[in-house]
Order: sequence, then structure tokens, then C-alpha cells
Amino acid sequence: MKTNEELKEITGFIAEYATCLLGSGVHTSRVLRNSSRIGEAFGLRIHMTTLSKTIVLTVFDDADTGSVNTEVLSIPALPISFEYNSELSALSWEAYDTHMPLAELKARYREIIARPKMSPYRILVLVGLANGAFCRLFGGSWGAVAAVVLATLLGMFIRQQMQKRHYNHFIVFMVSAFAASMFASLTLIPGWTPNIAIGTSVLFLIPGVPLINGIIDILEGHTVTGTSRLIQATLLVICIATGLAVPLLLFMKNLL
Amino acid sequence: MITDIITDGLLAAVAAIGFGAISHPPRRAFTYIAVLAAAGHALRYTLMHYGGMDIATASFCASMTIGLLALWFGRLSHCPLTVLYIPALLPMIPGMYAYKSVYALVKLMQHLGDYTAAELYINQFFVNATVTVSVVFLLAGGATLVIFLFPKKAYSMTRRKTWTAPRREQPLAK
Repeated sequence: MKTNEELKEITGFIAEYATCLLGSGVHTSRVLRNSSRIGEAFGLRIHMTTLSKTIVLTVFDDADTGSVNTEVLSIPALPISFEYNSELSALSWEAYDTHMPLAELKARYREIIARPKMSPYRILVLVGLANGAFCRLFGGSWGAVAAVVLATLLGMFIRQQMQKRHYNHFIVFMVSAFAASMFASLTLIPGWTPNIAIGTSVLFLIPGVPLINGIIDILEGHTVTGTSRLIQATLLVICIATGLAVPLLLFMKNLL
Repeated sequence: MITDIITDGLLAAVAAIGFGAISHPPRRAFTYIAVLAAAGHALRYTLMHYGGMDIATASFCASMTIGLLALWFGRLSHCPLTVLYIPALLPMIPGMYAYKSVYALVKLMQHLGDYTAAELYINQFFVNATVTVSVVFLLAGGATLVIFLFPKKAYSMTRRKTWTAPRREQPLAK
């Protein structure tokens, strides 16, 4: 027998869990499946409406008291985390299979959220190397690769520092794209494939995860969330293009 | 030929690890992401350079392959499919085509008075933008097709066998 307070508490937890997943870049159908799985573990039926910045969650206690509880919660803007995606999905299965009590489930959830993330400096180095490899894939010369690695380190560092200070993310993307592509313009030496270097130097900014998630959402019929993800990603791409346009306009003659 | 394909795969693996690291994947997923990215990108390279396939079709074949391999790797690593295949798809996003669209757009703005030149740049913009959009769509679609083909398998990747014995006696009680 569930009291109303218990039902409220479970609803609150599932709403927090679902918004955390949606905020950290998990496609909508997985969030719906995971949330209803947790609901089922407590013998509850879940209905969830997802919009671009809010969810409406209703929990039905069909089997027991017949009471219904609804909660509306906004989706926080979290950094993308595949770790939350896989660990919180695993947690939903664990709840489903073991029927752990809510207190334990909440403790496990907090433990997963509090896990340390990879250090920003290690990410910086990995991204630098990645973009260098990318430049080589597109046929850049080794000089261009070196310039792209350095340009990426600079651009990514600026992005991390600005994101830490919570600047508007459109501005973050514009400034980082500008810095990286300006630095890559140093390769305007004959034979150093400057076009490829400048073009690749901003690619670490491309919002690939929201783009792919948006398409997955649309393919699975969650057209509203999918479209809003795609629009957000497109806006970021436009910001990258704006930052990139500055060196192009400045050095246009040399690029020909 | 063989060395070209292997180099292509290795570079793609480095790119996938770096671009994936921005999105904080779980530690255990890195090896699988690298292998998926290398296999996918090398396959696309082979199809395009030795099979005479265009970039869109080759990307679709590569992303289907990545999706199918991810189905197997997901079992091994207990990671959801998307955690494995999204970072592996990132190196295949056609960045140079995206760059060329921006470049053509900037050039177009510089040649608004000259109709012949403007027509050339608007054509370049449309060709490059169309390739970018189609390839990104086919990449995401190809890998997601695998989820539609094997929904049961794809949805239970993170379920562990060791949990099947319930810890508590009475189910559903609170």
C-alpha cells in the first residue's frame, strides 16, 4: 500500500532522473523506456510528455490506490555525458530486476552523478590529437596537421574556460571557432594546404551528438524533441561558420 | 592499398577517441569506440576509393556495419548502443563539405554584383550543403536501423545477468 507521500516521492525521483538524462544528451525514446522501467519496478504506470525544455510526467498507481500524481519539471542544460547514459540505464534495469527500495535507488543515483569526470586537460590533449588526425584524413600536409593540433588546443582551451564561466554558448562557439581558425591561418605558406587546415581547425566544435540524437528522435517519432535538438545544433553550426568567416574574409586572396 | 586502409582506420580511431572524450563516455567504452570508428571509416574509405561508391552510399554501408558491430560490443561492454556508435560516427561527419559550403557562402557575399560568379558560388553552396546534410542523415539513420531491426537486443544491453535473482523476497513492496 502506497501513501500519497510515497507516490509523490517516487514521481519526484523519476522526474529528476528523466530530466537529468534528457539534459545530458540521451535520445528521447531511451529516457521514456528507462523511466517507465523504474516505474514498473514500483508497480506504477508512467506517462511522460517531452518538450524541448520541459517534461510533464504523470504516474498512475493503477494496481494499488488508483491515485495519480503529475509533475512538471524543466530540463537542465548539462554537458553531454555518455557515462550517465549507460550507468543510469543500467540502474533502471537493476531497479527493475532487484526491486530495490527508493532510498537505495536514490543513493545509487547520487553516487553515479557524483562520479569524477575525466580531467579537462586530458580531454584537451585528446581533442587536439583527434582534430590533427582528422586533418590528415582529409589529406592535409604534416605542417597543416601540426597547425591544426595547436589551433585546436587553443580553441578548445578557450571553449572550456568560457564554459566554466557560463558564457552564452553561442558566443562560446563563435569565439572558439574564430580563435582556432585564425591560428590555423598561420599555415598560409605555399604547399601547406591552408584550405584543409583552416577548414578542419573548427571541426572539434561541430555538435555531432545533438545532430545524431535529433535524427534518431525524429526517426523514432519524437518529432518535437528531435526537431528542437536539430535546430539548436544548426544554430551552433551557424555560430561556428560566423567565427570561421572572419579569417576567410581577411585572407581570401591568399586562399585562392 | 592495404597500408592506406589501415592508416585511414587508425586516424579515424584517434579522431573518434578525442571527439568522443568531449561527451564523457564511460572508461570501458573507449576501446570499443576506437575499433568501431576504425572499422567504419576504413570500410567507407575502401568502398569509395576501390569500390567506386559515392560518399553517401558508402557512409550508409559503413554506419550499418558500425551499428551491427555495436550490437555485439554492447553485449560485451554493457553500454547502450548509442554510447558506442555515436562517437564512432563522429569522424565520418563530412567536415570538409561543411567547410566548403561556408566558404562558398562567404564568396557569394563578395560577388553579389557579378551574376555569373554569384551563380557559381550558389551552386557550390548547394552541392556541398546537400552532401553534408545527406551524409549526416544517412550516418545516423544507418546505425539506428540496427535498433529497429533488433529492438529486443538493443534495448537490454545494460541489463546484467547477475541481477536476475531478486535481492528481496517480496516483489514490488516498498
